[in-house]
Amino acid sequence: MRIQIDGRDVEFEPGETILEVARREGLEIPTLCHDPRLDPAGACRTCLVEVDGWRRMPPSCATKAQDGMVVRTRTERVGRHQRALLALYLADHVQGADACETGAPCELHAMAAKVGAPTDWTPLEPVRVGRDDPNPYIEFRADRCIACARCTRYCAEVEAVTAISLVGRGSKTTIGTVDASSLLDTSCELCGGCIDTCPTGAMTEKRPLLQLAPPERQLEKVRTTCNYCGVGCQLDLNVDPATKKIVKITSPPVGTPPNDGNLCVKGRFAYEFVEHPDRLTTPLVRGEDGALREASWDEALDRAARGLMGVKERYGADALGFVSSSRCTMEENYLVQKLSRAAFGTNNCHQCAAT
Amino acid sequence: MAGLVTTFGAGAMTNSIREIRDADFLFVIGSNTSEAHPIIAMEMKQALHRGATMVVADPRAIWMTNLAEKHLRLNPGTDVWLLNAMAHVIIEEGLTDEAFIRDNTEGFEAVKETVARYTPEEAESVTGVPAEDIRWTARRYATTERAGIYYTLGITEHSHGTDNVYALSNLVLMTGHLGKPSAGMNPLRGQNNVQGANDAGASPIFLPGYQRVDDPEARAKYEEAWGVPLSPEPGLNLNEMMKKVGGQVKGLFVMGEDIVISEPNVSRLEAGLNNVDFVVVQDLFLNETCRFADVILPAACFAEKEGTFTNSERRVQRVRKAVEPPGQARADWEILVDLAARCGADWGYTSAAEVYDELARFAPKFAGISHARIDEGIGLQWPCPDDEHPGTVYLHEGGVLRGRGAFQAVEFRPPIEMPDPEYPLVLSTGRTLYHYNAATQTRRGLGANAKQPAAFIEIHRRDARARGIESGEMIEVSTRRGVVRCRAIVSRQVRPGSIWMPLHFPDARANLLTTDAGDPITGTAEYKVCAAEVKKLDAATLDESEREPARFRGSYYAERGPV
Repeated sequence: MRIQIDGRDVEFEPGETILEVARREGLEIPTLCHDPRLDPAGACRTCLVEVDGWRRMPPSCATKAQDGMVVRTRTERVGRHQRALLALYLADHVQGADACETGAPCELHAMAAKVGAPTDWTPLEPVRVGRDDPNPYIEFRADRCIACARCTRYCAEVEAVTAISLVGRGSKTTIGTVDASSLLDTSCELCGGCIDTCPTGAMTEKRPLLQLAPPERQLEKVRTTCNYCGVGCQLDLNVDPATKKIVKITSPPVGTPPNDGNLCVKGRFAYEFVEHPDRLTTPLVRGEDGALREASWDEALDRAARGLMGVKERYGADALGFVSSSRCTMEENYLVQKLSRAAFGTNNCHQCAAT
Repeated sequence: MAGLVTTFGAGAMTNSIREIRDADFLFVIGSNTSEAHPIIAMEMKQALHRGATMVVADPRAIWMTNLAEKHLRLNPGTDVWLLNAMAHVIIEEGLTDEAFIRDNTEGFEAVKETVARYTPEEAESVTGVPAEDIRWTARRYATTERAGIYYTLGITEHSHGTDNVYALSNLVLMTGHLGKPSAGMNPLRGQNNVQGANDAGASPIFLPGYQRVDDPEARAKYEEAWGVPLSPEPGLNLNEMMKKVGGQVKGLFVMGEDIVISEPNVSRLEAGLNNVDFVVVQDLFLNETCRFADVILPAACFAEKEGTFTNSERRVQRVRKAVEPPGQARADWEILVDLAARCGADWGYTSAAEVYDELARFAPKFAGISHARIDEGIGLQWPCPDDEHPGTVYLHEGGVLRGRGAFQAVEFRPPIEMPDPEYPLVLSTGRTLYHYNAATQTRRGLGANAKQPAAFIEIHRRDARARGIESGEMIEVSTRRGVVRCRAIVSRQVRPGSIWMPLHFPDARANLLTTDAGDPITGTAEYKVCAAEVKKLDAATLDESEREPARFRGSYYAERGPV
């Protein structure tokens, strides 16, 4: 089966949408409400294309490719539509890209600039309401929302808890919860997937905002592996180059294994421990009086080595036990077993997870 | 781990996480997936969204049971009965894959003989699961091409944990649901690097890469590499080690585990710790075990060091340094290198990558994996025997790794401690979404404290009413080993006669209560079943803050009251 897109003859698999075929071919069609993890909604109308013989322009995200179809994505009519549509969205949005981008980059502003949408249309009276929510992580900024419903569809389709949904009608359509309750009092699992999928930064992390962290564009991203459960989600630690501290955690692009752009509450938010004042910052040794006191690395390592070797001398190597950790790295586990086996001569080496 | 090595030849998820969304039948047993492995739960939800069928076998009602076609609510510890009865149905109704059994397995006759005695009707009386549901599940599992089994600690944290794994393996082998995409046997690992810690040889019986310490050939290889003779005697597993602390074990080195929170029956362990000569603890925080430590070494966390973790699907992935450790804290591997040097072993590593290279050099499964290769793209899944190998997406393709899959006939053994008049309730312990294990990390976070501010236990309305307990009140939980105080949540999540408690809270340590009876093969303790009693606390014994009912927000199973 074949379709023609912008003059290119392309093969496709039955069931593929025009958008999927076009993106595979490297053709750019702008989208706002589209997320490959979600069922197509065709809600934002940004991805309309012309199809020969069709009077109306269909949304490419929700229209299946059909054999022999001739699709045009860059016509004058499509361009005129995109410019007018995005100008309307901008009028219903925080004015100015700089003012908007206090969190994640705003796809709307970027796209409007790309298609040359006018930015001087009279701003609409902001009528969309947000809500005060004492949950510690997720902030909803109604002035940035364009009601594309990516967050609510993610919540229903991917996380499958339906804690948030669209409420209200027309220009008052907003994102709400049952009885306008805090997310803490709903089925919300605080996974933050709404933040990840939001194209405009309307759903965003609360703590970086409170700490006046720089916008995401200015942060250094370090790709690493989550340190909680065994799924091994890939995540990006976002470091503020000025303070050298982790400001937030974001997920890598959709399609990155194993987590496909998803994270859970622990992966995305439970990094407060890294900077916690309770962290151990210096070696400690127990003194004669039974109390712990600070020590140098030299002193602590000497004490540790002498103590362990003393036990071996007095009772034999099998009087030692080495408890390694499934929270530490492969390399560290390798070294603990090597320490146990090669330096002390015992196989008494294990960790809590061998079932 | 040991169970699957015996039956299939490799102790890991046979499928990849990405394959779950394409499965047509999901059998989830002993896994509170949406809380313990939220991202795998999302994959399952996608499969359901596509039209897959899911059956959840669990004593508790969990979020996944809301989404399941059927919830097999078995009595705690009766898994072998349920699984053998499913095998019974599959054989009785002729749904076995005879060709797979003939070509790829051994020992089927013994299983056939054993499970013949496990009728679904009798299983119903033991497990509490209706016979018709057992039959239905067995049929759907056997007759669906892409059928996967997913399990976690609800299967393994029993005194018969390995038997449970054998019983599940039997189902896989008799239906041939192995060596194919989206069909297989998938233990979901609880910690980031469970798979890797075992792969790297932090085990009393295995050198790195599952090479046995009592295999002279394997030992000789490492003796040559390390230049020292190695002990051929298998060591103590963690369960035995903890029981012998203060006895045979006189010195302990503990890295990154808070044993007096996470190990069962901790009052006995603490008594033992008072009788050891020397304890070294290496951790991020002054954890509870530090009370017994002679030396405490401050370690860097995952965001402050280089290395690798291996996930449940055998994918070796990179850990990268983003920020500096606080104060003088250092990466665990650096500390270990320096400690070894002071114990007379000069290893000379200058980077984590060099350590990985040595690990890979002598363990054929990982030989083709290196930091440099991972850095070029995404993580690699073992087996990956050489530098050109792309890694292995699912195991046992074109034949079971072991050669022949080994059927293991297993008989039901009841849990070690069953309820009695003095302790009439069954206590199970587990993990919640918001906290993580000993919670040294998550307790220091805002979300966990907003949702679950205090230790709690779930109790059914009937048991609560009989004891005059209201939701949110302080109660006392006791077993033969200990007593803790915590909040009650009157909940539909547990069934009458059962109570459930998370292990995360140091002020109400669930592991003061649990039994240290372990599985005879792995040593894994029976965290999921012990006999307990709860009672309402006399208001006079409570302090001001304890009199106020605690608030557990958004607990959708709570029945009433302020929770």
